[in-house]
Amino acid sequence: MEALTLLHWTFDILLGLGLLWLGWRVLTSPDLFNAIVLFVAFGLLMALAWVRLDAPDIALAEAAIGAGLTGALLLAAFAKLRTVEKNHDIAGQLEKGKLENRSFQWWPATFLLVVAAGLGHTVLSLPHYATGLSAEVSANLKSSGVSNPVTAVLLNFRGYDTLLEMVVLLLALLGVWSISGSALPREAAPGPILDTLSRLLTPVLILVAAYLLWVGAHAPGGAFQAGAVLGAAGVLLLLSGWRLSSHLAGLPLRIILVAGPVAFVAMAVFTMLTGGQFLEYPRAEAGTLILFLETAATLSIGTTLAALFLGERPKNKREYP
Amino acid sequence: MGALLSEISWGVVLILLPLAGGIACFLFPRAAKVLGLVSVFAVLLSVSGLGWNIKVNGIYRHAIGGWNAPLGIDLYADGLSLLMLAATALVGFGISVYSADYFEREDAARFWPIWLLLLAALNALFLSADVFNLYVTLELMGLAAVALAALAGGRDALGGAMRYLLASLLGSLAYLFGVALLYHGFGSMDIAMLAVRVEASPAVWAALGLMSVGLLLKTALFPLHFWLPPAHASAPAPVSALLSALVVKGSFYILLRLWLEIFGPLGGGVDTLFGLLGTGAILWGSLQALRQTRLKLLVAYSTVAQIGYFFISFPLAASAGVTAWSAAAYLVLSHALAKAAMFLATGNVLRFGGHDRIADLDRVVQRLPLTACAFALAGVSIMGLPPSGGFVGKWLLLQAALTQDRWDLVSVIILGGVLAAGYVFKVIGHAFTLADISHESREVPAKMEWAALLLAFGAILLGFLASPVLSLVGIGVPFGVSEVSP
Amino acid sequence: MSAAFLFALVGVGLFSLGLYALIVHAHLLRKILAINVMGSGVFLVLVALAKRTGESQPDAVPHALVITGIVVAVSATALALTLMLKLTAETGRAELPEDQGK
Repeated sequence: MEALTLLHWTFDILLGLGLLWLGWRVLTSPDLFNAIVLFVAFGLLMALAWVRLDAPDIALAEAAIGAGLTGALLLAAFAKLRTVEKNHDIAGQLEKGKLENRSFQWWPATFLLVVAAGLGHTVLSLPHYATGLSAEVSANLKSSGVSNPVTAVLLNFRGYDTLLEMVVLLLALLGVWSISGSALPREAAPGPILDTLSRLLTPVLILVAAYLLWVGAHAPGGAFQAGAVLGAAGVLLLLSGWRLSSHLAGLPLRIILVAGPVAFVAMAVFTMLTGGQFLEYPRAEAGTLILFLETAATLSIGTTLAALFLGERPKNKREYP
Repeated sequence: MGALLSEISWGVVLILLPLAGGIACFLFPRAAKVLGLVSVFAVLLSVSGLGWNIKVNGIYRHAIGGWNAPLGIDLYADGLSLLMLAATALVGFGISVYSADYFEREDAARFWPIWLLLLAALNALFLSADVFNLYVTLELMGLAAVALAALAGGRDALGGAMRYLLASLLGSLAYLFGVALLYHGFGSMDIAMLAVRVEASPAVWAALGLMSVGLLLKTALFPLHFWLPPAHASAPAPVSALLSALVVKGSFYILLRLWLEIFGPLGGGVDTLFGLLGTGAILWGSLQALRQTRLKLLVAYSTVAQIGYFFISFPLAASAGVTAWSAAAYLVLSHALAKAAMFLATGNVLRFGGHDRIADLDRVVQRLPLTACAFALAGVSIMGLPPSGGFVGKWLLLQAALTQDRWDLVSVIILGGVLAAGYVFKVIGHAFTLADISHESREVPAKMEWAALLLAFGAILLGFLASPVLSLVGIGVPFGVSEVSP
Repeated sequence: MSAAFLFALVGVGLFSLGLYALIVHAHLLRKILAINVMGSGVFLVLVALAKRTGESQPDAVPHALVITGIVVAVSATALALTLMLKLTAETGRAELPEDQGK
């Protein structure tokens, strides 16, 4: 027993030091590309930390979104940045990124050391035993419609946060589309490996997403993790050169993108018309209604994440000449 | 009628309506303008509904999902929330009418959905009673504001938007760290519950520091204002108006609310620091505004200066609470109207002459009389001359300072007014004179001139409405009970 | 000292490291990475301290908050990267223009 505790401690301390070291390497790596690769590794190590903290739901979300999709976004941006800078014919722009961070700056470093010490002291001054809202959560879990407490908080107790969060995603996409304009039609054909890989993996990823969505009611998983996996399938398809055909790129695509927020708004109106509070599900139907909301949210999250990866608005000639 | 009005939960309507409107604009871009205008008008009506509701029943509280805090999230509205919601709806409606002619075709399809989602974010922010929910609304507001600031494209707008986004994200993260400390220290995210439970401890001080820095950064209080002038000056005119009139007020409102409920009662001298920074903002912002050669930058620096006045209230509130806070609320409201009018007027000048160089304004008074009038009236309120909302606000502030013999603050308030007169008259002077370069002019749609003028007129009208507005703000006693009534 | 406080301190460290990098680096992609590391730090503080429940299951509420936070972070990152690319296309440099607002 004691040997096990010792093992846990050693592991946790190594993990914590590893996180700090990787974080430092991400931010100071001389090469930008390396920094991004290290960031993905950092995300995976974070996922491990979430597991150690008994937060498997976050571990899944971190691995899929934090490391996976953010990493894909960063790598895609890095590749585009190279092209842009080549077009501008400014040699050594990326090299400059290499040099600037060699110099260590004392004033910010001292200031942040003080900040870190203060915050560290604050954290340690917090009570060593606190249950937060866990008693309230478990007392009301039965009437929430699901048995995974994290899903209960996300979709029921604090479902309103999730409604707004769906809007954050939509807004990010609106911003990206507004800034970057329309996409060119098809790009070059993919290599055979990527093509085969995406053909094989896409159906698997869609199945995984469906499983995560279903299982989220009583085990780690749920709409965000499922949506992220769906988004990953979309990214893979996009990488292999697949593009949405232009008659689907208009209204049909937009309808899927807003399905999540619309489902929430519809649910809000429904719950209030039937005499409840805003988003107060009838207790008997709560489980079904949550699954309905999550399904719509998963579709939207997956599509939005893939669209964010593509960056530009898919072209639709009829609407945007 | 009365029964119907009180049966509907207007707070929820205020959040869902612009949300649905924004989604509809996104789905049907060709109809975006009509859908947008209808939604904003409906929001204006719903605010009246909520106002009626609050006037009859007192404080509005709605337990989302039927859970009640601390497990669930509550919506909450008292007189102060109502004031912010009303200012947002009124100014938002004026700017929407202006935008209907300003943005055309593809630009309209980009502008309307983001603006309506921004409106939903602002309404949600002013109605929230939960510190984490406020974080989500802050992010929503920030992303929408950045997307709008980048709308014009080009080097200046994109650079300004990028700087704005980084500042905004940093501010949100600092705020979120504070939320984490409050939750883990006191076991709730509901503001009212935290107010009861909080006691002086490292966690509270650190939360105060982190949340203040984060929110001050977003509110652009000197010296954290560096991102504001480039972002506000390089955005399209109606967007500048939205950012200056409404968005900076969102983060200020959160800070004010947290201060009133949670941090203020703890004391600790932070209010003195806020007062000093406010003084710095008034002086630095006004001097920078005087130095500008471009009209839009002048108006943007004027915002930096006017934000300073909101923070003068903090050190004065210790012993003249209601007067000082009423002053802040009145200044926020009249600045929203006046600054929106100024930016819209500037937009008219830009469209008319194709530039906003102050020295070459070339008899704008004769050629765009309504616009020049709007700028001048808004200027009256910004300077704090009677009769105007700005005058009432600064008068209340002076009163609070005089009762405490704070002559330093009295002189800052007056000096700020004199400097404001300097930069407003600089513009008006050039608007009368003949410039060396004559230029081609483009026609400005009448609606765009009238929208600016009516907003400016609203700022003046506020000078006559002090007692009804202040009694409305007092519903639910957001400022506590004070020794002297205003 | 327990695992909760150990990881909370690591969170504080990551927050501070990210803030340092955000201040000293000029390259926008590095600033975006820095914001993400800072965010991970805050999330770690939120979740680590939820484990102060002794032997019983940790508090689920911060877990839900962090999932919300992760989605917000990826949204903001996507917007920031797009802005960075457009700005670089305009100026040729992935840095903030320096002569603004003066």
